[in-house]
Amino acid sequence: MPRLALVALSIAGVALGALSAVALVADHTVHQQGRKFSFQSAIIKKGTPLTFVNDDTVPHNVASTTKGNEFDLGSQPPGASTDVTFTEAGEVQVICAIHPRMRMMVSVRD
Amino acid sequence: MLARSSVRGVLTMMIGALQSSVREHSRGASARGFRRSVLFSSAAATVFVGIIGCASITFGAAIVGRTRHVGLNPQPAMELDVLKAKYRRPAFIPFPRENPYTPEKASLGKRLFFDTRLSLSSSQSCASCHSPGFSWGDGLSVGVGHGMVKLGRRSPSIVNTAWATTFMWDGRWESLEEQALDPIQSAGELNMPIERLMDRLASVAGYKLLFAAAFPDEGMNPKTLADAIATYERTVVSDHAPFDAWIEGAEGAIPEQAKRGFVIFNTKGRCASCHEGWSFTNDGFHDIGIPSDDPGRARQLPQITKMNHAFKTPGLREIVRRGPYMHNGSIATLEEVVEHYDQGGIDRPSRSDLIGPLGLTSQEKVDLVAFLSTLTSNAAATTVPVLPR
Repeated sequence: MPRLALVALSIAGVALGALSAVALVADHTVHQQGRKFSFQSAIIKKGTPLTFVNDDTVPHNVASTTKGNEFDLGSQPPGASTDVTFTEAGEVQVICAIHPRMRMMVSVRD
Repeated sequence: MLARSSVRGVLTMMIGALQSSVREHSRGASARGFRRSVLFSSAAATVFVGIIGCASITFGAAIVGRTRHVGLNPQPAMELDVLKAKYRRPAFIPFPRENPYTPEKASLGKRLFFDTRLSLSSSQSCASCHSPGFSWGDGLSVGVGHGMVKLGRRSPSIVNTAWATTFMWDGRWESLEEQALDPIQSAGELNMPIERLMDRLASVAGYKLLFAAAFPDEGMNPKTLADAIATYERTVVSDHAPFDAWIEGAEGAIPEQAKRGFVIFNTKGRCASCHEGWSFTNDGFHDIGIPSDDPGRARQLPQITKMNHAFKTPGLREIVRRGPYMHNGSIATLEEVVEHYDQGGIDRPSRSDLIGPLGLTSQEKVDLVAFLSTLTSNAAATTVPVLPR
């Protein structure tokens, strides 16, 4: 493949990555599918709800034990959507308590 | 005898039934989720109000809104061949970047794993509880540690731990390297202070040479000890079983009864929701309704209701030789295990939503056990290493 095409593909990849981040800010939604969160990290403004949608085939249990932003959605069945509003600025580790491979960081900004 | 096309038909029908069951379940659970959210928000508000003048209460918590139901596209019925592909054995063993495989490390690790001098009493080794003769468990209901005192949980098999995410029944360690040092130092297990162990190993000339060969830049220390044991443990992989031959295309490798059991395993039995993939586990934590006071994963996550009595999902490879079963060895046979899941165990707030009465027929239970039996290999004998003196 010509070098120019590779460079163009790389730029497109970077742009697509940036768009994904923007998309998150735009719709504030994290999906859960295939035992994965749709984002490994996200940035959100304090007080803005972040929606967790379980579009997987099994229940998930989204939660955080990060001080100041603790929550536990309990068993969230497939087809359920729940908003979480973070009240403290900082880095929040979000997990699925059931599936240890499911982790993401939410950066809550003032 | 059930023909291949019939197996596919049954699979399609059962997946449809399972999806309906999940949708029904979702509607009920949404309401429960809403109640929980309201309760949680109330609790957060209470903490917020109560915080004034009371510094010991944790300030703040995320606010959980009401749970809504969103429409999911129905999952298309999975073809049998697509389903089988999900169980294909991996081509290589994964080793972490921070502790890559070397033959010298694995060789040293094997010697350490089988060496009773790792215990204070010099009478127990890692292999005492994780014996190749018992498919890397010990065949007991619960482990036996220092002074022959019984432990609280069954010794888990270490087979296929190279693919694991968390370790121990409650998942308290996140790497094999961390885990390796735990039982050595635990008062109830090998009861060996790490400094004393390093002194003991340093007095063995053969170990000095082996550590120097495996870790030329680091030498002998607790980290390299753990790295070597973890590297060896990652090489302990279940052998090819009749199930693998079937997955790879040998139709006659397993009986028709086991093929029917495979379909039930993936549909009506709900087993594959947790026991998924080639090693038959996604490392998830569930309360499966076993009578027990053990808090399990709640020791690590006490705030999360569903983690009470929840334990790590074990893989099912070599399962016929790994009884008794469950975290406390309370179920003796695979037939009784299937019966437990069919009944659904104790209904309590922490019980997984995947657990509940299944309504399996007698024939389906027999088929399930027949399928599980195909996951056990004719394991080659493991040689016990000559230990350095």
